[in-house]
Formats: sequence, C-alpha cells, structure tokens
Amino acid sequence: MKRGKMKKLLVTLILAVMMVSIIGCSGNSESSGEASGGDGNDKVTIRFSFDQGVGEPTQKIVDKYNESQDKVHVETVILPQDANVVHDDFVNKLASGDTSVDVMALDVVYVAEFAAADWLEDLGQYFDESTQSKYLPGTIEGATYNGKLVAFPWFTNASVLFYRQDIIDQLGVEVPTTYQGWMDLQEKVKGLDEIKYVSNFQAAQSEALVCNWVEYIWNNGGEVLDESGSPVVNTAINVEATEIMLDLVENYSPEGITTYNEPESEQVFLDGKSLFIRDWSGFWNSANAEGSKVAGKVGATTLPIGPNGEAPHSALGGLDLVINKFIDDEQKEAAVDFLKYMASEETQKEMTLISAQPPVLKSVYEDADVLAEIPFYEKFYGIIEGGKSRPMSPKYAKVSDAIQRNIHQALSGEAEVKDALDQLQSELEELNK
Amino acid sequence: MEGKLPTSPLKNTHRKISKTSLEKKEARDAWIMMSPAIIILLLIAVYPIIRTFWISLHEMVLTDPSSGYPFIGLENYVKIFNDQRAMDSIIFTLKFTVVTVFFELLLGFGAALLMNKAFIGRGFVRASILVPWAIPTTVSALMWKFIYNDQYGLFNDILTRFHVIDSYQAWLSSSSGSFMALVITDVWKTAPFIALLTLAGLQMIPKELYESAKIDGANKFQIFLNITLPLVKYTVIVALLFRTLDAFRVFELITVMTGGANRTESLSVYAYNNLMKFLDFGYGSAMSMLIFGVVFLISLIYMKALGSKLTDF
Repeated sequence: MKRGKMKKLLVTLILAVMMVSIIGCSGNSESSGEASGGDGNDKVTIRFSFDQGVGEPTQKIVDKYNESQDKVHVETVILPQDANVVHDDFVNKLASGDTSVDVMALDVVYVAEFAAADWLEDLGQYFDESTQSKYLPGTIEGATYNGKLVAFPWFTNASVLFYRQDIIDQLGVEVPTTYQGWMDLQEKVKGLDEIKYVSNFQAAQSEALVCNWVEYIWNNGGEVLDESGSPVVNTAINVEATEIMLDLVENYSPEGITTYNEPESEQVFLDGKSLFIRDWSGFWNSANAEGSKVAGKVGATTLPIGPNGEAPHSALGGLDLVINKFIDDEQKEAAVDFLKYMASEETQKEMTLISAQPPVLKSVYEDADVLAEIPFYEKFYGIIEGGKSRPMSPKYAKVSDAIQRNIHQALSGEAEVKDALDQLQSELEELNK
Repeated sequence: MEGKLPTSPLKNTHRKISKTSLEKKEARDAWIMMSPAIIILLLIAVYPIIRTFWISLHEMVLTDPSSGYPFIGLENYVKIFNDQRAMDSIIFTLKFTVVTVFFELLLGFGAALLMNKAFIGRGFVRASILVPWAIPTTVSALMWKFIYNDQYGLFNDILTRFHVIDSYQAWLSSSSGSFMALVITDVWKTAPFIALLTLAGLQMIPKELYESAKIDGANKFQIFLNITLPLVKYTVIVALLFRTLDAFRVFELITVMTGGANRTESLSVYAYNNLMKFLDFGYGSAMSMLIFGVVFLISLIYMKALGSKLTDF
C-alpha cells in the first residue's frame, strides 16, 4: 500500500519534471514558429550566430538590414571569440538537430566537416555561377564541398610577411623574396637597433602551425594532397621545405618559437626584436597602433619562397555563412535573403570600412573609398589572390591534428624531418581509407 | 588509541526509535522530501553515465552519418589498448599523478605542520598560502605560461639573477621542460589544499594527548610518530583521495600551458580531442568510461585504506 503510494508519487514527480522540460523546449520553437506564422504583417525571425571577434561591426550591419525591410527580422546570438568554443557550440546544436539558430558564421576550415555530417543547406540553387565568379575564387572553393556550394564566403583572411622597412632601408638592400635571402641578412642586422632575430612566426602545436607549415610546402612547390585528394607529404621538396622551417626555428628565431601562437610572436615583433613576422593581415593595424615600438616602420610583402618555389602562397582563413539544414522552408527563405544582403557589394564595402576585415568580393579591392581608408589593400589583393585553402577534408580536425603533432616534433627536435613526414604520410593515408 | 575514540551515539538511538510508527512516518516523509534531489541526481549523474556507456558500444563518428552508427560491442575499448597515442597519454597521466601528488603531500604536510605552530603572523601566512588554491586553474595556467616565457618570463629572470642559467630558456619547448613546468604549476596550485585539510586534522588532536606524552617523557620524534601521525592519518588520506582523482583527470592546466605538445597529452585531453574535435563520440565515450572506471577504482582503494573510519567521522 505504502509502496504503491510511493511509486505514484515518484511517477508524478518524474512526469512533472518531464513536463517542465517539454514546456521549456516547445517554448523555444514556439517563439520562432509564432514569428514565422504566415500572418502577412508578421516578420519572419531568424537567428544569426557568430563570434565576438566581429561582434560590433556585424551588429551594425544586422541593425541596418533589419531597418531596411519588413519581411525578415534578424536576431543575433554572439559567442565568445575562440574558434574552438564556437566550433563546439555549433556541433552541439547541429548534432542534436537543434533549430534555435538559422544562420551561422563558420570558420572556413570546418565547412567540409559540417557538410560531411549533412548539417548544411545546399546554397548552389540560390547563388548561380555568374554570381559566384564575382567573388575571390579561393574563397568560393573553400565554401564548396563535393561539388556543392554549402556555404557562402563572408570575409577572408590571409597571411602576410610584415618586416621592418626602416632596417631594410638602413641596410640599403632590396626586400628579400626567398627564405635564403632573409637568412643572409642575419649577419648584417646584428646590433642594428634591438633586432635579435631575423625570423618570427607561429610554431606552437596548434592550428597556426598547420597554416605556417602548408605555406612552406606550397612556397617550395609542394602539396599536402594531390589532385585526387591522396596525401603526398613525404616528397623530397616537402622534406626540403620542412628543413628550411627547422633551420629558421633553430638558428634565426626566438628560442621559444615552438611555444608561440599569434600573441607571443606578435609581442616579439612589436618590441622591435625581430626583422620580420609572418602573421594575419589584421596585424597591420596592431603593428601601427599607438604603443607599438615599430609603428610607422613596418612594411608588408608576400611570403618568401623556397629553392623549388615559383610563386608565394598564403594560407586563407576567414568566415563563411552557412544555413542550418534542419530549419523549415520559410526560415530558409528568410535566411537566404539575409545571406544575399551580406554578400552584396554595398554590405561588403561597408563591412570592410567598419571592420577592416578583408572582403570576398573582388570589386571592393578597387573601390576608391576603401583604398583611401586602407591603402595597404592595394598590395594585399595580390596576396589574397595567390591564397590557398588548407587541405579540404571532412576529417579536417584529424588531418590538422596529425600535421600539428608530427611537424611540431620535427621542429622541436624530437624527430628527424624525414621520419616525421613519413609518419605523417602514413597517418594521413590511414585517414583517407 | 584509535579504538578509544567514542563511537557515534546516533546509531543506537536510531535503531531504537525506528520501530515506532512515528519514525516510520518520518522516514517516509524523508523519502518524499528527498525524492526531487534523487530524481535530479538520477537525471544529471546516473543517466549521462549510462548513456555514455551505451554510446561507447557504438561506432559513432558524427561526420559520417551514412554509417548509421552501428553497434560494435567492446571494440572501442579494445581500440584504446591498441592505440599507441592512448597508451602514451595513460602513461603520462599516471606519471603526472604520482609525481604531483607526492610533492603536494610533502609540501602540503610540511606547511600544515608549520602553520600548526604558534608564531607571529600565523593568520597572515595561513590566509596567503591559500591564495594559489583560490585562483581558477585556467587563470593560474595562463599566469604560469607567462612566467615560463622565453623572452619576458619571471622564471628566467630569477634564474639568471641567481646565476643558475646563463641565458633565457624556452622551458615549454621540450618534453622534460614541459613536464617539470606542469608539475611545478600543479604543486604550487594544489599543495595548499592538502595543507588546509591536514591543518584541520592537526587542530582536532586534543592538546591533552601532547601534554601527557610530554609528562611521560616522549621526545618530539616519538610524539610525532605515535600521536600526530596516527591521528591525522585519515584526514590526509581523504585529502590524498581528492588530489589523486583531480590529478588523474588533469585537463585545463595542460590545454592552456602546452596544448598536449611535447608528450604531455593527458587521457582527459585525448578523450576531449576525440569527442569535441574529431567528433568520434563512440571512441571518445569509451575513453571517458575508462577514466570513470579508473577514478572509481582509485576511490575504492582509498576507501579500503580508510576502512570503517570514513563512516565514523
């Protein structure tokens, strides 16, 4: 009798808890469902999620969009400025089929992974070939998976070689275009100003190392994957490229370079201790900002090339806009409208002016207003045009991890370069199966 | 001496009254009142464990939905023991746990003995020794990462001032340097925890015991061995239990300071990578279950060491 009562009570309580959670869930979908109700006057509300790094300018653009028309209303969901946190948040939502966000700003390297998991809406039907051709080819390529346009580029990012123009002028030499050329300056710059190191880049075991390493490979004429997508890592020219990198680490860079990400390497350059730094385009602003010891003394150029290299290539970064596949058709229609607005010439130009993020639309780089505001873009367009995407793979996280571990071991002297590349080759082959 | 400790009087009274109907009603009310807590506990603690175990029996790679996530039994567990990287991370984790817990015990116990003595400024010392423990792990890891910096680090500055080294070193760029740096940081942060618990144990020892030992003519060493140590033993074991479990699950410290580079990838870090980075939920869950199992085992061993004393306190 009493046991029965107890059971009843337990069941009631469990039911209560479940009810609360169900109400909680439906509360969410109801609010968006209500907004999308076909009342004619009601706006369709879509939610756009992106990271704090571009928070302020993006909010301005979104506000302007909301004012501009009466069909769609965009709400923003801002995440912390940390690529990993953003990735994990999106994974959590999409893996559970959540529809609380409609549009997401996704780091370009994760596009293939999300597309392979079948989480992204195919955008090919909304942006035809002629529209696509107006944008930088590298960025469209990065938004395409298995021949389908699964994302749309929002803005891009490329690496640049920043160097001390004043030192080069003092020496009276040309800006070197090869790694060897920079190394040869070591003897000459010793004792000039406070320069202690010729070279400076990011060699900590992290995504930044992947970007740096693929650039050494490309700039010596090598590739990570061949045309068919099979790994071709341990070729002679790749070994040569990695050995150049190791030489720079051991003899021309700060002692702790294998522990450096962007902030640590930037600090060394800002303190006037290194002749050059390989960094992302946005560093131009911080290098010339108040408080920088090198403000006004910085030049920017393409990355150096190796003995087998023909043209310099930078690794491309940036964000793409994607649409959640699980939302209903009405939401999708609104999301596409918003995407088209974000990709339009007017918005691309405005975003460039207020955020200094490199746009993806070719015409913006020729715009007089933009060039007047950011003169550096004239040089930068060539750099971006020669930019390449990191190897596309649905298993990108594993590819990246394998590169990070093996190359880091080679650079920190725990493994021979050839052995590390052989090991990397076999790990990538294993992943390719 | 332990046997002389009074046993809890509650046990006897409990047995006597539980036969009355009043007590029965009270027991029932207690269950009713506890049920929300029990349900919540089932939902947030037991359910995820069962669910994780269930996932660990499947091949579930989220980037490959076409596979249909088949049931593969214990294959993921077998995989762990054939995975060199997993084995390396287990060895690193065990090494890290043993070394840090050893130094933490040594330092923590020593600090507690010192703080138990009356001296000027004791309150200040007690408060300040707790500061490292109060700082969140991520923050202290970031702080120490900067201390070990090869250009601006305090560590290099001090060592060169005292002529221990000639020029600045990059401490986090080698395996041995990274291991040492991680151990120092962890010991710095958590030895105060052992000190605090041990101090509480020391203060519970009745003064009379020391007085009578002195009257009996025992020297300091004998007093320490025969009174202090046996009476503080169980508190220290409880502190050690917490520390061993925490050290075995070490995560933020490594993520922030080395990112798992230079052979410092702990089992938790590798499990996290499999789950959140590679989206390999099956394998990552198997690894999480392994961590859960080991942590459970460690707890059991310590409980055994504590014996019935745990329930007596």
